[in-house]
Amino acid sequence: MKVPRTRRNASVTVSRKSKANIPPNPSSFYGGNGQAFEAGVRQLIANGKFRNALESAKEFHKVQRTSASESLLLDAYAARIQSLLDQNLEPEAKSLLDLVRKRFPSARERLDTAVAAVSARAGDLAGLLQPLNDPEINSERRTSIERIIQTQVTDLTALAGCVALSPENSLRQAATALDRAFDMVTSGPVTEEQIALPEVPYRSPLAPWKLLIRAIACLHRGEDEACRESLAAIKPESIPARLVPAMQAMLGVKTATALKPAEAMLVARIIANLPELRGALANLDRAFAEHNEGRIFKAVRAAVRECHHSAPDRLVELKQLIALRGAVGCLDTRGLLGALEGAPRQDAAFFRMYALAMEGSDDEEDVVEACELWDKFRQQAVQEGWFRASGVEAATLYLHIAAVLEQIPGELLKKFQRSGNRQTGGEDRYFLFPEKLFARACVIDPHSDAFAQWMCWAARHSVSQAEAVGREWHRIRPGDIEPLLYLMQQAEKRKAFSTALSYLEKAEHIDAVHSVVRAARLRLLAAGAMNHLQKKKPHLAAEKLALMVQLPQSQQGDRPGFLAALRHLICEASGDEGGAAEARREAESLLGGVMAADFLIFGIATVARCLDSALLPPARALSQQERKAIPASLARVLAIVKDLGITKFQLPVSYFSEAEAQFPDVSDSLSLEQILSLGELGMATDNPKLAWDASGAGLKQSGPAEARFLLLRAQSIPPGHGARYLALAAAAAELGRFHRDMDVIDKAIEIVRNPLGGHSIALTVEEAREVVRKELASPAFPSRSGSGPDYSDLIPVPGDLCQCPDCRQERENALDPFYEEEDEPEFDEAEMDRIFNDTVPKGIPPALAKQLFEIMRESFLTGDSPEEVMSRVAGEVRSANGGGGKKRGRRK
Amino acid sequence: MNANEILGVPANATEEEIRAAWLSKVKEFPPDRSPAEFERIRDAYDTLRDPRKRAKAMLLSTTFAAPLVSLIDEHKVQRIFAGPRPWREVLKTK
Repeated sequence: MKVPRTRRNASVTVSRKSKANIPPNPSSFYGGNGQAFEAGVRQLIANGKFRNALESAKEFHKVQRTSASESLLLDAYAARIQSLLDQNLEPEAKSLLDLVRKRFPSARERLDTAVAAVSARAGDLAGLLQPLNDPEINSERRTSIERIIQTQVTDLTALAGCVALSPENSLRQAATALDRAFDMVTSGPVTEEQIALPEVPYRSPLAPWKLLIRAIACLHRGEDEACRESLAAIKPESIPARLVPAMQAMLGVKTATALKPAEAMLVARIIANLPELRGALANLDRAFAEHNEGRIFKAVRAAVRECHHSAPDRLVELKQLIALRGAVGCLDTRGLLGALEGAPRQDAAFFRMYALAMEGSDDEEDVVEACELWDKFRQQAVQEGWFRASGVEAATLYLHIAAVLEQIPGELLKKFQRSGNRQTGGEDRYFLFPEKLFARACVIDPHSDAFAQWMCWAARHSVSQAEAVGREWHRIRPGDIEPLLYLMQQAEKRKAFSTALSYLEKAEHIDAVHSVVRAARLRLLAAGAMNHLQKKKPHLAAEKLALMVQLPQSQQGDRPGFLAALRHLICEASGDEGGAAEARREAESLLGGVMAADFLIFGIATVARCLDSALLPPARALSQQERKAIPASLARVLAIVKDLGITKFQLPVSYFSEAEAQFPDVSDSLSLEQILSLGELGMATDNPKLAWDASGAGLKQSGPAEARFLLLRAQSIPPGHGARYLALAAAAAELGRFHRDMDVIDKAIEIVRNPLGGHSIALTVEEAREVVRKELASPAFPSRSGSGPDYSDLIPVPGDLCQCPDCRQERENALDPFYEEEDEPEFDEAEMDRIFNDTVPKGIPPALAKQLFEIMRESFLTGDSPEEVMSRVAGEVRSANGGGGKKRGRRK
Repeated sequence: MNANEILGVPANATEEEIRAAWLSKVKEFPPDRSPAEFERIRDAYDTLRDPRKRAKAMLLSTTFAAPLVSLIDEHKVQRIFAGPRPWREVLKTK
């Protein structure tokens, strides 16, 4: 022991630096100033001068030898031991503690806290935590231990695994949860649920750890403000507070004191050195652009090395991306893998990127590979827990693969399907079969959109397949109206009106005010009535007519006129001449004249194939007054035909020519709708001049329909006026946008899209209006090339086009806008099948039937209609059967 | 940026988390002050709240064709997950 200084000179015992740290001279205690001396010692402790405080307390106690002086000395010892612990001098602290416990046996209990703290620091938590198992432990002791846990225990893993506490102990459970959350939050993104930590209550000594974990999570999420708030809430004396300076540095907060080595190292590990990595990646991008394999490999090595150093968490993704670039760019695989220092991780993210890269290829084999990769992605993603095998994500993926397969032409896809099956030896390559994909998607997620996509796909391939999908859709989702409408329309197309009406009835139960549903009943009844007339069953047609009359919608517009015309024909077919005459008079009255009634009756008669009941004189036989009425009457009848969806409505051609001739004189008396109807009629009947004149008359009246008339004008312009054609279509597109007419926009954009191999032609509204002005100034039907307004300022002429190789190539690939491809006859196998089954003679051998079907198919493709072909074939077969018998007979 | 990044939620976020993130972003970018950002946030929320749109976005939310340099955001500070060890080293030192 040192000789006390008081013995030597009874002077100042401690620091000479500050008077505040100098306690009163113990000798003065003889004068009775002990309290002041004690206060001075405690001040030293408070100022962190533990060694001096201890020396002074020893001096004081030697002189005093009272319980108060001993208490002061013990406090000084405790403070000194704590300071040794704070300096990581656990052995020294433990030695001093043992010494004190030996000298002051009566103070053992008082020193227990210090003992526990020393034990805790040395990794022996049992000594610290054992007293907590005592149910009789006083609150002071508990608080003291909890304070040590909060301020001394740095190892959560040890606390969580400490056997001194039972596994059910709340403190141990809290430590376990915190330890797990700490590992997670420092290793990767976490959810709110993962760091909610309900096991750690606010009053727990471990609560600062919870705040620390939240702060780290916010730091990685980029939620800096929330991170700062959590850091500010951490108690400064707690262990987690040790991370606050480093985390503030990560947040960009400048601190007065320099970071300790461990803190600086942590900051360096967390904050990436991004500029260098960005430079390496930019260099790699340039190397890929140059297609220089040697340079690419060199740049890959540099980028991987830098990423490994400064952003290790992005290394997996980087390697995957580089590997994909290499695969798509056909780089040497071995060389690339060498530069990457191994193959990239083939996880779900990799397969997803790979599939996306492949599905955008122009090569159909790549597209097939993309589908296979999507399947691998699905399997891997399910394995990695991205989604369930029967989850909505899987259904969405199946639909996506089906959409990808659309890129492959049908015949080629069939080849891939066949070759795939051969190669895999029966393994289910479902991903090459759209129907299987749609079925899988609809089983997992029977959603309207999925069924709609399936039915849309099926309808492009086979009507019967589409109908099967529609029936399945209706079975699984009976509340959806779409399949019923589709089935109804298909039944209507094949004249199965009863079936169509039964579907309509179901649709009416779902949505009676649906526009298609509302229009359908009258249309179906009308079509049914005309069908009965065609089959010479006027009584059934009359029944249908009676049903139509009862419908409220049959009283709207010119529909009563149609009913009267139909009644006229039914009466004619039934031999009721009186009724027929009365009905004709009614039709004439309702349709505003004889001409319109005659047109409608004749048109219905053509549909019902009972032309004996309706005759029209040649147009030239009409008076001038009657001829002038032709355009308006035609327009009125056309509106009815359009309203009721009547197909195969015909009128003598001479009337269309006459309408074209009369139109300029009567156009001012017609409504816009009538003009538009006549314009469309002109296009449909190959009378472009009628359409042209109608467009001019419509443009004169301006208004929201101007875009429609511009489009009509573009469609009716004869060949040889390319610039004018494009200017009209571009103006129609722009004014269509202005008036929000989507139908016009779609059609006009088809014309102006990429017409000369460059960009689409687009005009401003002002330019479009200028086109209208120029057209109104040039009403004459263009008869020869070059006549009409000049649009060279709006539409580039070929000489002004960009001549760079890319643009020239693009123009070569582009379709000539003025080239009209002849419509190829489409072979609808389902339709042909139906006609065949309806008309093929009964009892015909299957082999012969198949042969006949092929003949029919070929004949159809040569230009004959299916009905004509089949009736001819059937006729030939019948005659062949009859003739054959005779021949056989002759042979005999 | 995909919808998850716009709302700042992980790919496996629950509906509650998505809604909470959306509300928080809307407070941060109200429509009267940041209409463009608000619209972006609304679109992202619309995508994430519909399981089918969300699934579609999940499938297509990546591209290999973007420049590699775009992997690293020029302005954003990159914070790396370094694991628990360096953090614990600091906790042990006084």
